[in-house]
Amino acid sequence: MSTFQRRNRLREQAADSSKNDFVSPRARHENRPQNRLAAGAIPIAAALTLVGLATAGLFVINSFVPLNLIPLFYMLPVVVAATRWGIAPGLVAALAGAAAADFFFYPPLYSFWLDNRQDVIDLLLYLLVAIVASNLAARLKTAADTSNRREREITELHAFSQGLATCLTSRDLIFAVQDYLSNTLKYRAVLIASAPDDYGLDAGHTGVPEAVRQEAVKLMTASASRASTIIAPVTTKAWLVRTIVPEILGYGAIAIELGRGSSDAIAIIAHHVEAVLDEAMVTLKHLKVKEAIEQATINYQTEILRDALIGGVSHELRTPLASILGSCSVLDQTAAIRGDRGSHSLVAAISDQAAQLDRQIRDVLDAARISANGVRPRLVWTDPTDIIDSAVKQKARRLASHQVVIELRPDLPLVNVDSVLVEQALGQLLENAAKYSPAGTVIRIDSRCEEGYVELSVTDQGSGLTTDEKKQLGRRCYRGERNLAVSGSGLGLWIASTFIAANGGSLHAESRGPGLGATVSLQLPTGSENTPELADAFND
Amino acid sequence: MTKVLVIDDEAQIRRFLRAGFELHGYAVQEAETGMAGLRAATIDKPDLIILDLNLPDLDGAIVLERIRSWSNVPIIILSIQANEHEKVRLLKLGADDYVVKPFGISELLARGEAALRRHLRSTDREPVVRAGPLSIDLVSRVVSLDGRRVQLTRKEYTLLHALGSHAGLVMTHQQLIREIWGGRGGNIQYLRILVRKLRQKVEIDPTHPLLIVSESGVGYRLDRGSTASSNGQNELRADDLGRQRLIGDFQTI
Repeated sequence: MSTFQRRNRLREQAADSSKNDFVSPRARHENRPQNRLAAGAIPIAAALTLVGLATAGLFVINSFVPLNLIPLFYMLPVVVAATRWGIAPGLVAALAGAAAADFFFYPPLYSFWLDNRQDVIDLLLYLLVAIVASNLAARLKTAADTSNRREREITELHAFSQGLATCLTSRDLIFAVQDYLSNTLKYRAVLIASAPDDYGLDAGHTGVPEAVRQEAVKLMTASASRASTIIAPVTTKAWLVRTIVPEILGYGAIAIELGRGSSDAIAIIAHHVEAVLDEAMVTLKHLKVKEAIEQATINYQTEILRDALIGGVSHELRTPLASILGSCSVLDQTAAIRGDRGSHSLVAAISDQAAQLDRQIRDVLDAARISANGVRPRLVWTDPTDIIDSAVKQKARRLASHQVVIELRPDLPLVNVDSVLVEQALGQLLENAAKYSPAGTVIRIDSRCEEGYVELSVTDQGSGLTTDEKKQLGRRCYRGERNLAVSGSGLGLWIASTFIAANGGSLHAESRGPGLGATVSLQLPTGSENTPELADAFND
Repeated sequence: MTKVLVIDDEAQIRRFLRAGFELHGYAVQEAETGMAGLRAATIDKPDLIILDLNLPDLDGAIVLERIRSWSNVPIIILSIQANEHEKVRLLKLGADDYVVKPFGISELLARGEAALRRHLRSTDREPVVRAGPLSIDLVSRVVSLDGRRVQLTRKEYTLLHALGSHAGLVMTHQQLIREIWGGRGGNIQYLRILVRKLRQKVEIDPTHPLLIVSESGVGYRLDRGSTASSNGQNELRADDLGRQRLIGDFQTI
């Protein structure tokens, strides 16, 4: 539904509600029981006063010019009372007028008795005309009132819409709605946010009955309905609770105190408030789109920068490293270096350090790419044997001073993963195992097959993990305090767990405690590889 | 003397490639740009081309395509990005193999030699391929391991034949699937399982394959027993990791 249509609906509703004796919020507020009596009595007293004035006027005029059309004169207070105060004072004025005419002006004077039949007919005719006239006048008054109110409401809504247009954030908007409901319509509106910082509001508003709050929570968690009206138990006041478009704003609800009144009247008010909220939600959606576009522009610019940086870094830093590593590999094969132990170990050291630098640059680049674009794995059925084999080969130099034991089941099912990412993750686990366990100790790689997944685990005999370290593990840039002397960026395991998660798997760490070694395992999803046609594929 | 043409715009990379190749008895020519490379490839008729993908004037892939349009000369690609998609594309365009920077000279030499040998075999019709203890007679279709004959099913043999005729070079998953199953039926799952079955017959430890090695995200390679791994960082200490492993159940064939 377009904004325009919604606005129209709003107007119709305003008109509608007046037909149904819509009690304007202001009037409604005045309708407290003790006030109501006084409010009804004043117009009637005024109507009677008018009749009194008319009688006095008639006496004066009658003393100069005897009048025949006395009932006609009494029409004046009826019409005035009915137009000003409605049908009841009009009728009162009509009856009082008839009584006064009878008492003061029809013979016998100063008695309610009537001698003349003509007079009886006169008075009855007067009463009839007066009743009709007061009815007409009262309707005129209602119509005028309605159009006034409609005009006022439209003006208010217009102001509200303009207010909405100036909102720059969804928070502004929520406050504008609250403001409109509270100040213009005189309802008390309270925002109930699922989390206090959703709108920067404190969730613990005072004066919101617990039942209302619970209803709000119920609506926020259930997706079925978005609004409901409930009567608060103690105060017996009706509250409208309405969720605020969860898909755009996160979870929140607005609760509006409607007061007491007949259920019909409350339904109408609820309808009205609902329309206002709908209006606001439409604006909110526009606003969200605007915000999203702005955010996208910023993201796009950031991305261009980041891509330039990633491209630049990978070329400018990794190309020299590639020639250092390549040159080392050539030097290492020359007779002069081969024959000299010292030179040989120096070349090896250069190569090691350059390789480590390259690995760290790659980690930073990977982290930047993950942050920029997330991970988009290309899932392909892969043999876990190949994953382990490649990871171990990649890390052969890091693992050279450890004893690597691989226990692989020959019948592991295939896994549906991006093998490059999983290899890199497993390589990271091997690297960590080598880094945090003393040279010469055993690093074990085990495999286990469970329903729906294959688990690959790396166990070392190193410094292990404390409970706290286990919790922090896998956080970006986390480095255990005990191991700050070991070089590293703290990115490796974060990248590994991100890669594994992107492949639909998970990463777990276990340790019996500090100094007792650690086991880090990857769980990778398998599928049903025993498809019926699989057997046919190998028929010769 | 075997002539190798190095097309790379990075002077430092060219310098170490020259040193490395000359150390192993190659004659080296250098080209700094794609156009210069194309000219040298036409005029000097090198036996082997090392082609970098990032060239200032032409995309490396275009240089590759142009050379392939008239020559079968072995071409090894140097690529800095470890993008498997790109590797498969280049192999499809006719590259014989690739190495990813950073790499060690022995890795590149192994790839180059494998490509040269394959090129020669296509002209010389040398029928027997050897890789470690494995020998494959491509003509009589006899496979033996340490002199003992190995019985293979037809599909297993087709797979080994395809790998053997490209010994030392990578073959993409798609190439292998097409070789084995033709246009119909095959998929990567079948290939994985077939490779596993073949490994059980020809590898000493099928869970630690030394002969049929996987190139992640790209394909398989029949390793000719060189210790050069796919990563240049590893090759200084030519310490075969296999020695560190517990040698598993030996499969008697």
